[in-house]
Amino acid sequence: MKNNKGEKLTRRAAVAWLLRGGTAAVIAGIVAKVSARPSGERLVWQIDPRKCIQCGRCETACVLQHTAVRCVHGIEMCGYCKLCFGYFKPDAPRLDEAAENQICPTGALVRKFIEPPYFEYMVDKELCTGCGLCVKGCTNFGNGSLYLQVCHDLCVNCNTCRISEVCPSGAFVQVPESEAYLLKEKLPRT
Amino acid sequence: MSSIKSRVLRVGAWVLAALAPLSALASSRFPQPQFDSGYVAEKVAYPMPSFAVTPVVDVLMLVAALCMAVFLVRQVRSRRWILFFGLVCLGWFGFIRQGCFCPIGTIQNVALALFSGVRLPLAIALFFAAPLIFALFFGRVFCSVVCPLGALQEFFIVKPLRVPKALDAVLRVIPLIVLTVGVVCAINGAGFIICRTDPFVGLFRQSAALPMILTGMGVLLVGTVVARPYCRYFCPYGVLMEICSRISWKQVELTPKECINCRLCVGMCPVDAIDAPRTSLSDRVRGRQFRQFLSLLVFFPLIILGGAGVGYMAGAGVAELHPGVSLVSKWQGVAEADEDQFPEIEAFKRVGGTLAQAEAQALEIIDRFQDGCMISGALIGLILGLRLLVLSKLQGSQVHQANRYRCIACCRCFAVCPNK
Repeated sequence: MKNNKGEKLTRRAAVAWLLRGGTAAVIAGIVAKVSARPSGERLVWQIDPRKCIQCGRCETACVLQHTAVRCVHGIEMCGYCKLCFGYFKPDAPRLDEAAENQICPTGALVRKFIEPPYFEYMVDKELCTGCGLCVKGCTNFGNGSLYLQVCHDLCVNCNTCRISEVCPSGAFVQVPESEAYLLKEKLPRT
Repeated sequence: MSSIKSRVLRVGAWVLAALAPLSALASSRFPQPQFDSGYVAEKVAYPMPSFAVTPVVDVLMLVAALCMAVFLVRQVRSRRWILFFGLVCLGWFGFIRQGCFCPIGTIQNVALALFSGVRLPLAIALFFAAPLIFALFFGRVFCSVVCPLGALQEFFIVKPLRVPKALDAVLRVIPLIVLTVGVVCAINGAGFIICRTDPFVGLFRQSAALPMILTGMGVLLVGTVVARPYCRYFCPYGVLMEICSRISWKQVELTPKECINCRLCVGMCPVDAIDAPRTSLSDRVRGRQFRQFLSLLVFFPLIILGGAGVGYMAGAGVAELHPGVSLVSKWQGVAEADEDQFPEIEAFKRVGGTLAQAEAQALEIIDRFQDGCMISGALIGLILGLRLLVLSKLQGSQVHQANRYRCIACCRCFAVCPNK
């Protein structure tokens, strides 16, 4: 930008540098104002099971084709009900493993015999689609030991969680990555 | 007698013991049974989030990519190398890092943090700032091929057509709206609209709902004839890039030697970013331009006021993006018997909320949106006014030059310049 009109250009250049410096200072100021120390923990998405109303949107709203939300079983809370409200349909013809008796549409809730009359219930994470049907039954009629959680080996941790935007009860919250789960059995009473 | 008493005590103790770990529960309808077989429940493992790379690496990669882009645009000046580097950036920032976080989306994190006081991880703030700082010095090198969205569109430019100037001016209002509405929504709790309108993130994740796939493909299809449609006519970060690059220290140099004004580069540029030399203006034209400038100055406050007015009126509509407001619109249109079909209403009622409460909340939210949109409108008016004012500038270059804020440093013009 050097030519014979040196003086004028210098003045322009000075103004430009002032503008540039000012803008850089604004950007740096914003960074200083909004950022925590570098050690600031990342936040991850999680479902607060106390707020969840099992609307079923977790199954479909996630950006992943197979949602990152799964049913988990807080087995310390389980009442080992003979008629598990998360496992059997209310009008189940018989209380056995036949598909027509089960609530779970994918057979992801599997039970293992312990001793009469008790069964242990576990979630097959590969099969679970996070629809929350079992959670609804268990929460409404049982101990509520089945509940939904975002599984962090699956979640891609979007900047804004798609499910959180359609969650009707505001149950999607961001938690520090070191405490990535909101386990119902460990949460304080609401 | 005593045995019964001790039995009651023992059972009580058992019940207490059984309930002890459950004391945290709201209600435990059925106590855990005792198992005779010695069954103990297995502990379930909960996998922790595993981020492949640390935030430090993320930021370093971005800064390194920006430096590399500057080197390629200013020193190597090769379209081939820029394209190759675009593939690398598309692979890393797009498919490996899955396009999230990206500087475009961090606008909202930063805005939210500014207004809510919640601190951000430094990495996110730096993701927001680094491309802007580079733009201040070297122009839009980030837009070139570092941005995975830009790089992806770069590969789909087949036969770029010239967008008519008037249409271009109108379309360039959209990014301003996206930016301001995105910020208003982010700081008022209506979610991150800018992320939701990212057309390509589904491709990067290789998993998306059908509407997102279709939009992404649509944008790429349009991009075959209108170069970089997302970058030019939607990207909210582009607005900030434009502001920074307008005052950039260096700009893309069309030719290292003297320009011979052959106009080859003008035909090559896909984004219409090469300014033709200005012939010296006659005094009459200069006078007319000056009068135009003065009358624009008079209208300037009116443009800002008009923008603010339009913003205020649009506020209520924009507020529908907030779940609290859309809840009320839904609720008011629903018969009481059908209320249980809407989970939002059910959830709101479950915590003891009534329609009147929801309406009161919604009015408050609408108020905030109207204020926010009014300020947004004024800002848009200000920027539009400035864009108009700049049109009547008198000085111009004698040779062809890359337009500072339109040029996205794709390096096509280097290849075509005969004056190497």
